[in-house]
Amino acid sequence: MNVHELPMILFTILAQMSVGAFVVLGIIQIVAARRFGSAAIDKVTDPALFAIGPVMVLGLIVSMFHMNDLTNTLNVLRHFDSSWLTREIVFGSAFAGLGFVFAFLQWKKWGSTRQRQALALVTAAVGLMLVTSMSMIYYSLITVPAWHTLATPAQFFTTTFLLGALAVGAALMGTVMWRIKVAARAGTAAADTEGVVDPDSRKLLTSILKGIGIAAVVLLGVEFIIIALHISNLAGGGAVAGESVAVFSGGWFIARLVLVFLGAGLLSVFVYRYASSSKMARPLAILATSAFALVLAGEFIGRSQFYGSMFRIGM
Amino acid sequence: MEKLGFSFDQTLCNGCKACSIACKDKHDLPVGITWRRVAEYAGGTWQQDGDTFVPNVFSYFTSMSCNHCEDPICVKVCPTTAMHVGEDGIVSIDEDKCVGCRYCEWACPYSAPQFNPGTGHMSKCDMCADYRAEGEDPACVAACPSRALGWGPIDDLRAKHGTLAGVEPLPDPALTRPRLVIIPHRDAQMTGHGTGAIVNPEEL
Repeated sequence: MNVHELPMILFTILAQMSVGAFVVLGIIQIVAARRFGSAAIDKVTDPALFAIGPVMVLGLIVSMFHMNDLTNTLNVLRHFDSSWLTREIVFGSAFAGLGFVFAFLQWKKWGSTRQRQALALVTAAVGLMLVTSMSMIYYSLITVPAWHTLATPAQFFTTTFLLGALAVGAALMGTVMWRIKVAARAGTAAADTEGVVDPDSRKLLTSILKGIGIAAVVLLGVEFIIIALHISNLAGGGAVAGESVAVFSGGWFIARLVLVFLGAGLLSVFVYRYASSSKMARPLAILATSAFALVLAGEFIGRSQFYGSMFRIGM
Repeated sequence: MEKLGFSFDQTLCNGCKACSIACKDKHDLPVGITWRRVAEYAGGTWQQDGDTFVPNVFSYFTSMSCNHCEDPICVKVCPTTAMHVGEDGIVSIDEDKCVGCRYCEWACPYSAPQFNPGTGHMSKCDMCADYRAEGEDPACVAACPSRALGWGPIDDLRAKHGTLAGVEPLPDPALTRPRLVIIPHRDAQMTGHGTGAIVNPEEL
């Protein structure tokens, strides 16, 4: 497995996961608002929202290790009109900044709900621009056949939504478990899901987890189609592409497929199946977290192989 | 101002690599950085001659550095504008701006920008700007014992030698439009139609 590009592997995955989680939380707001009301949704999803910021900032910090002269760091903002790398950094910083402002307003409940929603919409748009710029960094290299293909943006966006959705699922169940623990420590009699999560929130959680389970299975299908098309495309694409395609084979490649299948396929089906049983908080939390962890590991291997498939035309 | 470029005559090169060493010496390049490199491209088949199969082999050399492209992908992708094009078409790196992200290294199909771990910056050929300012030839051109290398305004070079730049193992010139003219070896194979392979990859 190629770990020479470790800073880039971690940065792209963490940033995509952050954007994905932010957008998924937004979709939850839009879809569920009519039935549950904004305030009820905020109560369930705010802790997950607050977790995105640190992940994104961690990603940005890790990405600094890709540079070899930090004293010139600010120069990377100079070439916005031509370099996708500059655009990536601008949109990445903007997403982190806007996300921070939004999370802060959400925490303090400053401004009207509409105003905060407008800000969230802008933040999500900037986040999607970030993922676009990220994929264009690689897609625009016409000298690297394994990257100069639609598979690059398709895979980046699939990773974004797959990891984002599963991260939200894990974060929401983690919050429930944490609340149960706090209640138990305080000696509350009903230290279970019934006791710490009111019926409305429980209904909402059930719907969210079911939605995430379905989304994960669909995105798993999309990802496997992308992988198959990418490999067949490279296999017929000349000598340099042929060197790249060899990377997508062997133990690590199979491990990636198995991990993503187990997490986004098998476990997500179980998440969907058991989402509605109120007595199942602990197993459900373990399921949601495991699904997320397996897919995260699979995507890590996948991204490492993406960098490993870098073979360039020429000499 | 006239744009500059290199010419290279494959029919004259015997693969001595004096150009490569002259460049390394002139710029005092550390181990691992070689702005000008010489690729040996070789291949062959068997040919039936009556009842006998005889080998039909070929080999030729290509000396390669930065080609100061008309459409330089390194300049396009650089986030800092450290990689820039001068008035004379020469592509050079401004070390005061470079962050050493190595994106240009990924992009260039001639491996022209090379990373210097000592400085944390990229480094590359500037066609010996200091020598040219004093009216001298670039070090590689001056060192070539068989006079296979040339330099000058690319329009003049093209008028004299033609416009060929797509010879194996070089990339398709449509990618970056190099200011380079190749005078092809008699066995030279056009880019994309090669049957041979680079036999000294460790030197490139």
